[in-house]
Amino acid sequence: MTPAEAEVLFTSLYVAALAVAGSLPLAVVVAFALSRPRLPGRLALDGLVHLPVILPPVLVGFLLLILLGRRGPLGSWLDQAFGIHFAFTAKGAALATAVMTFPLFVRSIRLAFEAADTRLFEAAALLRAGPLDRFFTIALPLAWPGILAGAVMAFAAAMGEFGAVITFAGNIPGQTQTLPLAIYAALQQPGGEAQAWRLAAASLTVALTGLGGAELLQRWARGRLTG
Amino acid sequence: MMLEAHIQLHQGSFALQAVFRAPQGITVLFGPSGSGKSSILAALAGLKHMQGHVRLGGRDLQGLAPCRRGVGLVFQDARLFPHLSVRANIAYAWSRAPRHVVPSPDDIARFFDIAAQLDRPVTNLSGGEQSRVALARAVAAAPDFLLLDEPFAALDGVRRRAFIHVLLELHRAYGLSMLVVTHNIEDAAALASHLVALCQGRVVVQGRLSDVARDARFQALLDPRDVGAAIPANLLYSDHTPSEQALWLRADHVLLAAEAPRAISARNVLAGEIATIAREKNGSYLIELATSAGTVLSRLTGAAVRELELTQGKRAWALIKAHSV
Repeated sequence: MTPAEAEVLFTSLYVAALAVAGSLPLAVVVAFALSRPRLPGRLALDGLVHLPVILPPVLVGFLLLILLGRRGPLGSWLDQAFGIHFAFTAKGAALATAVMTFPLFVRSIRLAFEAADTRLFEAAALLRAGPLDRFFTIALPLAWPGILAGAVMAFAAAMGEFGAVITFAGNIPGQTQTLPLAIYAALQQPGGEAQAWRLAAASLTVALTGLGGAELLQRWARGRLTG
Repeated sequence: MMLEAHIQLHQGSFALQAVFRAPQGITVLFGPSGSGKSSILAALAGLKHMQGHVRLGGRDLQGLAPCRRGVGLVFQDARLFPHLSVRANIAYAWSRAPRHVVPSPDDIARFFDIAAQLDRPVTNLSGGEQSRVALARAVAAAPDFLLLDEPFAALDGVRRRAFIHVLLELHRAYGLSMLVVTHNIEDAAALASHLVALCQGRVVVQGRLSDVARDARFQALLDPRDVGAAIPANLLYSDHTPSEQALWLRADHVLLAAEAPRAISARNVLAGEIATIAREKNGSYLIELATSAGTVLSRLTGAAVRELELTQGKRAWALIKAHSV
């Protein structure tokens, strides 16, 4: 692997890690909300969360560009108020990746919340624990194996995000060029197949390690809860 | 603390309308399966939507979230938190209690005889241990009133009696009032100072155990083999200190003698006067004997009644085998 390819791998890992870590709190809250059957507006929220699945990734990238580009309504405000830029930066690549992997992330966390025995919340309520208290002391600890597995899964999926990233963050080597973008760029050059294969192998290795790790973590954590 | 309830709720075609009170002490909510006992507990705890009102010591609980009612509930299925140890389960409740009647979670564990289990995960406790931990945890939250849903369901005979003893002790030591749901007449008699009998979502009769037990509407709820009478007793357990509680004497377990019996093995002989003789549908007779210890019921065949020439007002002796109680 050449230094340039190692840089691509590093960019990919950085973007995916930032995407997962940045979206984790929101994913947990949204997943918990969706796991409550009596939540008002649950269907609308569910539809909104799943929007990136049904929209073309390029369109998602384009919408982000409209919204968060330097002249976009949110982008110009962020620029003036905080000096933060998303478009064509690594942070932007992470944001586009986070939006695309969000449905998958939320789904796996939601399954973990739904699998938790809701009768335990009743038991906690009768021990004087309020709703927020129950969320942090019962719901989260019981769901954390699922949350962890969801995070690893989302990380693996984030490593492969293409359309939204290239549209919103561009394909800038050393900044926003992740593995799939580098593979795409390599395939555009004559004789670039060998490089593409090396990058593909790196991509596959990271993804498989992630999936295997998620499975092992989940087994270990479930074992702790069932004794 | 006195609990007063006027509960109305609907579950599909089942309509529940129960008006009752549970005074200071242990009240037993008794009734056959499907009579709405568990629904009443859920409504009192705020887990089920209801109409009407619930007052606890003059405070209106209706509309309050379960966590703000100050009511504890020991579920039939324990519902221990699987990610916490026994100690952490108890500490969970203890750390949220507004005041502490018991100095520490360890003292609570000692009271409930689970000190040796404190560091174990709750996932590999036996049924009896789980029931005790669930009760200890509920008490640690220092509830103003404790609800118990069939707490003996998972326990065998010896553990059952030990658990009843713990509940009586709990009331005696800490003055905690309780409402205990059961469909077992022996458990009901052993625990109740007050009894509320429920059938098909309605309160049939309520009052002091000794009064309710004699009520025909209450006896009609019982399985024919369970028909009997409650008498106060002072039981000597082999493994416990003496405990004053009522005993349920099944009519089938009581023999009658027309003369003072001599030289027999039965340890408990009660002399009295026959108050009533009632013929049952199947031809057997229920004899009500008024004794110094209370009313005792005995079920005899027609032949026995004729042979002994039993009549109202006649003196008779009830023989009870100690092992039948």
